[in-house]
Amino acid sequence: MAPELLLDSNIRLWVVLPIVFITFLVGVIRHYVSILLQSDKKLTLEQVSDSQVLIRSRILRENGKYIPKQSFLMRKFYFNNQEDGFLKNTKRKVVPPSPMTDPSMLTDMMKGNVTNVLPMILIGGWINWTFSGFVTTKVPFPLTLRFKPMLQQGIELLSLDASWVSSASWYFLNVFGLRSMYSLILGQDNGADQSRIMQEQMSGAAMAMPADTNKAFKAEWEALELTDHQWALEGVEEELMSRELDLDGMFSKELPTGIF
Amino acid sequence: GFDNWNVLIIVFTEMRDKLRKWREDNHRNSEQIVDVGEELINEHASKLGDDIWIIYEQVMIAALDCSRDDLAWTCLQELKRQFPGSQRVKRLAGMRLEALEKYEDASKQYDSILQDDPTNTAARKRKISILKAQGKSAEAIRELNEYLEQFVGDQEAWHELSELYINEHDYGKAAFCLEELMMTNPHNHLYCEQYAEVKYTQGGLENLELSRKYFAQALKLNNRNMRALFGLYMSASHIAACPKVNATVKKANVRYAAWATNQINRAYQVSHAMCCVLLKQ
Repeated sequence: MAPELLLDSNIRLWVVLPIVFITFLVGVIRHYVSILLQSDKKLTLEQVSDSQVLIRSRILRENGKYIPKQSFLMRKFYFNNQEDGFLKNTKRKVVPPSPMTDPSMLTDMMKGNVTNVLPMILIGGWINWTFSGFVTTKVPFPLTLRFKPMLQQGIELLSLDASWVSSASWYFLNVFGLRSMYSLILGQDNGADQSRIMQEQMSGAAMAMPADTNKAFKAEWEALELTDHQWALEGVEEELMSRELDLDGMFSKELPTGIF
Repeated sequence: GFDNWNVLIIVFTEMRDKLRKWREDNHRNSEQIVDVGEELINEHASKLGDDIWIIYEQVMIAALDCSRDDLAWTCLQELKRQFPGSQRVKRLAGMRLEALEKYEDASKQYDSILQDDPTNTAARKRKISILKAQGKSAEAIRELNEYLEQFVGDQEAWHELSELYINEHDYGKAAFCLEELMMTNPHNHLYCEQYAEVKYTQGGLENLELSRKYFAQALKLNNRNMRALFGLYMSASHIAACPKVNATVKKANVRYAAWATNQINRAYQVSHAMCCVLLKQ
């Protein structure tokens, strides 16, 4: 059983709280800086056009039942025809947005690094240098001895429990922990959200837009092939005439002139 | 004293809220907008804050509708001063040139917007409106088709194209446009009704059947659409009167027409009752 350490309450006042404030303020500043440095994402004409085509194909699948069968088949033929169907035959140039070929991606990446990684390293180092030589807080769960050199930077005590951590670890804990605070104060899509940005960087390589278009076309083609026409108006007269028309409020004064 | 001041504040907020409502509902009551907007701009500009810019835009377009070039020019100058180099303001400048019938200059204005931003749909649509204003329907139709090839989801454009085709009596193509609109707005009874009318105009047994079905659908979506009710009656009786139909089809259509007549009579009774009530008041 490790003896309980009692920390000077000054540590709480002058170390724990300032680190929280510093992390939070730096996060807010990062958010506003990222807004200033944001470059406009300009979509090309082709991308806009393609996204609308995909929407139209999807609408055809979902609401094709409201138009006559012949019209539906005509459009399905236009999209899926073996020889010259749009979805079958249109191939877009697939250029994966690697940093080398796409200069705007490069500057975006650089900006991302500058606003996020650099401050974190700088401030982490500064805190480590300023608030060194003492333990700051204790994590509520037991840790193995292997964590000691990482979490207890600057404290050379062999017998000290690994749960006691230095201020640098408290700083990193804050960086990730204040994420929900940022969403509360800055709104969902904020530039101070460190972990979200790192997640994006990892999955960003996998979500290349141009390759998506060809795959999206193929997926639409398959889905449309499977769609059949079930005319929604098959029994519309019988449905309509099953009851009297509801003429309530037809000639009221407030009604806008939308009848005719 | 305080009473006068309070009344002014109430009047001011009412006017501003009215303008906002008209803006959000896309009303085109230009004379009213000009009246309210002009007073708001002249008397209460300081109280409006940042709202004033969008009000300038709204009032300017209304002023162009009412041939108030003086007011439109004032609004445009204010907007140009606040947002130099803005494409949205450039479009407004182009619209003013259109209102003055300086179509060449307006077209050049829109071309300059498109040079900077080829995806700007507003400028392309204004160019097509110029062709329409000049009466060049065939060219307008051609340009609009090209536009729609790129921006296949623009519903406003599909509707405009259907109107152009109807004016040129090309009902087959108008029907195609209306089909697009029916798919994207399946619950809009007006598109069903317009489609039914186009089919009715095309004529022929198959088209009449389709027309009857779509009049019924429009009525199903909105029980109070009188035009669709009359359309249902006419298409059903037309089919029933056709010599080529077989007995079952004829019988069914006679039944439909009878039902429609019934409903029309009910509607007249309701309106008659309403008139009595109104006259008594």
